[in-house]
Amino acid sequence: MAYSDKVVDHFNNPRNMGSFKKDEDGVGTGMVGAPECGDVMKLQIKVQDDTIVDAKFKTFGCGSAIASSSLATEWLKGKTIEEAQKIKNTDIVQELNLPPVKIHCSVLAEDAIKAALSDYQKKAAKTEAAQ
Amino acid sequence: MDHHHAHSTGSRDLRMARSMCWHCQSEMAGEYFCERCVKVQPVSKDTDYFICFGLPRRLTIDQNKLEAKFYELSRAFHPDFYQNKSDAEQAISLGNSATLNTAYRTLRDPIQRAEYLLDLEAGSVKEIRTSPPSDLFEEILELQETVEAYRASDRDSETGREILAQLVAERQALDQRKQDMEHQLEQLFTDWDTLQDRGDATSQARAERDRLLKQMREILSNRTYVKNIVNDLAETIE
Repeated sequence: MAYSDKVVDHFNNPRNMGSFKKDEDGVGTGMVGAPECGDVMKLQIKVQDDTIVDAKFKTFGCGSAIASSSLATEWLKGKTIEEAQKIKNTDIVQELNLPPVKIHCSVLAEDAIKAALSDYQKKAAKTEAAQ
Repeated sequence: MDHHHAHSTGSRDLRMARSMCWHCQSEMAGEYFCERCVKVQPVSKDTDYFICFGLPRRLTIDQNKLEAKFYELSRAFHPDFYQNKSDAEQAISLGNSATLNTAYRTLRDPIQRAEYLLDLEAGSVKEIRTSPPSDLFEEILELQETVEAYRASDRDSETGREILAQLVAERQALDQRKQDMEHQLEQLFTDWDTLQDRGDATSQARAERDRLLKQMREILSNRTYVKNIVNDLAETIE
């Protein structure tokens, strides 16, 4: 099965690979895995005034998983928390032209986004309570 | 087929689906062949692999019995014997042979067998919620970085040799962990079978069942993660 050009591009030139310190202010971390295939994805967002100013990822998995998370970080930058919630795995499938057997990679990326957002919100609520 | 399956809906459906011979419409009594018209019967798509081989739904199975039944059914369904039969029978022979092969491959391997049984018992993987093992994930991602550093390094340089030594040690440690998980699983498999053999319907037994399912799910998943990184590691350093 051949990967689409967009997947190959993200795979060869992954955007925003790396990580932030987990306990840094405004950072939300999503750590998810797919027990069926063993892929692991870590996606982080940095939020200022309700806007995602930066995003990073690290993925251990196939080309489609790497491309899905790379694309996700690109999309997240500049979005508000509310806008980010609306990113769906089907958007990723469409953009990357993922074949049916690779749809679970996009699901993993959506899960990672959701996990990062909820981690950020939990942290923000805690900070607020402490003030 | 055997009393263990009597209460599962799956086997009831199976019996319903196979209660009538596709050819002579008589009530089916035989296993895979109609006793009246002797026509081969399709293995129902909903049948589970344990039923297919006449084995109880357990995590420890009689490998000899599995193999013997596999060979017996392979012969019975073999397309070579259906060349002069009707199209319908040829199609059944092909379909049954394919199902049989998948079923055999799944049940032969203890890990695949367990994954399969968990799916039967609890629906899809996602139905058993386990929290993602964050520490293990961090470890895998970190190791992945070291692997990439090694790929990018000059392997004959001192740095290259240092990273290689580190990776060799990591691989050994991970292999050991994988083995430890497999031992843990073996114990859980025994516990599961014991619980099933007792057949209690108490709330205590149900709680025990859920605990075992969850623990097996967790270790099976972690084992897959570890196995993946070990394979990647092995490919890089060998």
